[in-house]
Amino acid sequence: MNNWVRENLWRHILAIAICLFSLFPLYLVVLSSLSTGGSLHLTSFVPTEISFNNFKYLFSSPKIPYLHWVQNSLVIASTVAISSVVIGAASAFAFSRLKFKGKRFGIRLLLLVQMFPAILALSAVYVIMERVYKFAPSIGLGSQAGLILVYLGGSMGVNIWLLKGFVDSIPAELDEAAKIDGASAVQTYWLIFIPLATPVLAVVCLLSFIGTFNEFILARLFLVEMNGRTVAVGLQQFIGGQYSQNWGPFAAGSILASIPIVIIFLSLQKYIVNGLTAGSVKG
Amino acid sequence: MSGFMRGNVALMGKIAVLAMITAVLSLLTQHAFVQKEYAIGSFILFAILALNFTYLTKFSIPLKFFAPGILFFIAFVIAPIIFTLSMSTYHYQTGNILGKDESTAQVLALGAEPDGAGTTFDINIGETPSGEYAILVSDIANNKFFISTKDKRTEVPTSGLTLNADGVATAAPGFALISAEKLSANDAYSKVRYYFDGKYYIAIEGLNVGAVFQQSLSYDAASKSIKNVVTGAIYKDNGRGNWAKVGAPDEMLTPGWRAPVWFENYTKLLSDPQVRTPLIKVFIWTVIFAGMSVLTTFALGLLLALALNRKIRGRRIYRSILILPYAMPSVMSILIWAGMFDTEFGAINNILHTHIAWFSDANYARGAVLLVNLWLGFPYFYLICSGSLQAIPAELQEAAAIDGANPRQIFRKITLPLLLQILSPLLIASFAFNFNNFNLIYLLTGGGPRETLDGQIAGATDILISYTYQIAFGNNVQDFGLASAISVLIFVLVASISMYGLKKSKVMETFG
Repeated sequence: MNNWVRENLWRHILAIAICLFSLFPLYLVVLSSLSTGGSLHLTSFVPTEISFNNFKYLFSSPKIPYLHWVQNSLVIASTVAISSVVIGAASAFAFSRLKFKGKRFGIRLLLLVQMFPAILALSAVYVIMERVYKFAPSIGLGSQAGLILVYLGGSMGVNIWLLKGFVDSIPAELDEAAKIDGASAVQTYWLIFIPLATPVLAVVCLLSFIGTFNEFILARLFLVEMNGRTVAVGLQQFIGGQYSQNWGPFAAGSILASIPIVIIFLSLQKYIVNGLTAGSVKG
Repeated sequence: MSGFMRGNVALMGKIAVLAMITAVLSLLTQHAFVQKEYAIGSFILFAILALNFTYLTKFSIPLKFFAPGILFFIAFVIAPIIFTLSMSTYHYQTGNILGKDESTAQVLALGAEPDGAGTTFDINIGETPSGEYAILVSDIANNKFFISTKDKRTEVPTSGLTLNADGVATAAPGFALISAEKLSANDAYSKVRYYFDGKYYIAIEGLNVGAVFQQSLSYDAASKSIKNVVTGAIYKDNGRGNWAKVGAPDEMLTPGWRAPVWFENYTKLLSDPQVRTPLIKVFIWTVIFAGMSVLTTFALGLLLALALNRKIRGRRIYRSILILPYAMPSVMSILIWAGMFDTEFGAINNILHTHIAWFSDANYARGAVLLVNLWLGFPYFYLICSGSLQAIPAELQEAAAIDGANPRQIFRKITLPLLLQILSPLLIASFAFNFNNFNLIYLLTGGGPRETLDGQIAGATDILISYTYQIAFGNNVQDFGLASAISVLIFVLVASISMYGLKKSKVMETFG
């Protein structure tokens, strides 16, 4: 017994303490989403009364088009995730499996350029899209389509790089065998590579979904219209400057928006951790 | 399946998709050229040619795979980087945003002055039978009445006029009044210069008042200068994006245009104390912030990984809870923390029974930023360290134990050095990530507290990237040129850090 205490007690104490630290803000949000008051104020650790008014408010108030925001986030994030994987997978396949002139230069360029944080080019992207707006307002500054294009293009470097890492880890024997049997590169890609890579592509797709869902600053610059905002921008603007009043609905809204992301994340934990060690950092 | 892929249907499909994309992009190119956006137009044209060439010829198989990816990459990654580089060599800020032609046109349009006497007339706004905007002017002092349009003035004999009690003409043949409601819906009438005589025109000052103005500024193409015909002043291109008065270079006409100033933005970073001092301050905090963030998150993550590195009861539950902060969308978590730090209504003051204005004091704000980043970041290192600890061969530790080393010695002499070696690229990547951790700073403190009184826009918790954002998109002067120069500087820094990290991780060796 004495031995157990010496060996394990500190482990439990530390783990419990840090677990409390982890849970504290989350617990607080749940608490205030169910409370009637409107702040992240702690009156007691146990709720005295439970009310769903904040959730109701979220879906009925004309001041917060919450459902629009959720819909926008889902549409933007899934469009970006799917398109970037479709486009990126083909590029990654070429960079990983095919031989061509300039491949090494291409890989190095990708590696270097993906270090240029997208946010640094923000003013450039802004000015470019402002000009695009002049001749094609539907894909320029202020439009969701424009934002999708910017996300898609901006993530291309990182995504090709990330996908290439995954593709490299898929054994090459099968597609070499196919090649010997006379299959063209296009056939190898569709008939051998894609079925093999589907689970990996799905993971990258979900990661890209989470990343886009989390993106804030471009969305903030691009989406000015109330109904056109994403959840992140909408909720941030909603509480901006008036913490005391709007925290209840904010808490409710952020819980609802976070649940799917948390579920995706936890179910993909294993892959994400592998991806992390490959050198990517979640935003 | 392979027959299908090679079949006619697939070919038709390919051509149809290609044709559709070509059609849409062609339309875009056309619009771009009409709007004189030649660079963007040419790029789209290039994309059309490249796509058609790639998919209609057998020039290169790999190109078929990465053409779309590369085009996107060039358009939204390479082009903005090049554009940032080029902007960084321009005087490009509020007041100097437009192109030269556009800004000169605006300068000339604004360059009008009232006549010497400040003459005004009673007017009524209407239109001619042909639908042209017109004003019915009553020059009561001289008992003259006339109708003016953009390019002509017609005297009206008093006999045909309807005058009101003040002697102002309200109706005349060939002139139809426009109602006030209609005028308020469209203000195009107010921008017209109504003809008075060759030199002067009448500008609308209010619904019933017109004033006599003359064009005072005129552009002289021969001497490439602008002359004020009233005062005789001459304005010349000062080479920095403004028309400046000869003899008094500080008197400039607005707006200016974006003008190339080469390395001025960069030299400003080094030599102008107004720019350099806050930049150095921000840079130091950026390094401290990124360094401390890596250190604290790594230390806590490692400690947890060590604690849970054996099969104790409840390990799975601990693990699930510990990674929750990492699984939450970070934007939401940061906003929640921001609310918790609120002075009046936040839970933190509430629990501590204090009344601290966390984000108004530089040191409290910095502490809060680090604490929140610890919460956000430690699960990452916990996960990484747990994995890596298992990767260290147990024989090493066992051998040391047999040699009589105690657990602490084993950790310090064997486990930690090995771990640091494995993880150093990730530590460096994490440093680079935090170096640019814009969301955290922007959403938590907004970079503040800021002393706005002395016109400085660098806040106490501003890191380079949020400072750059302030410069480019802040409420004061928006200086795209300077912001771009700082961006380039940050890129060079981060790229060097990351390259160093990658060299360590030997990624580069794979590619020679």
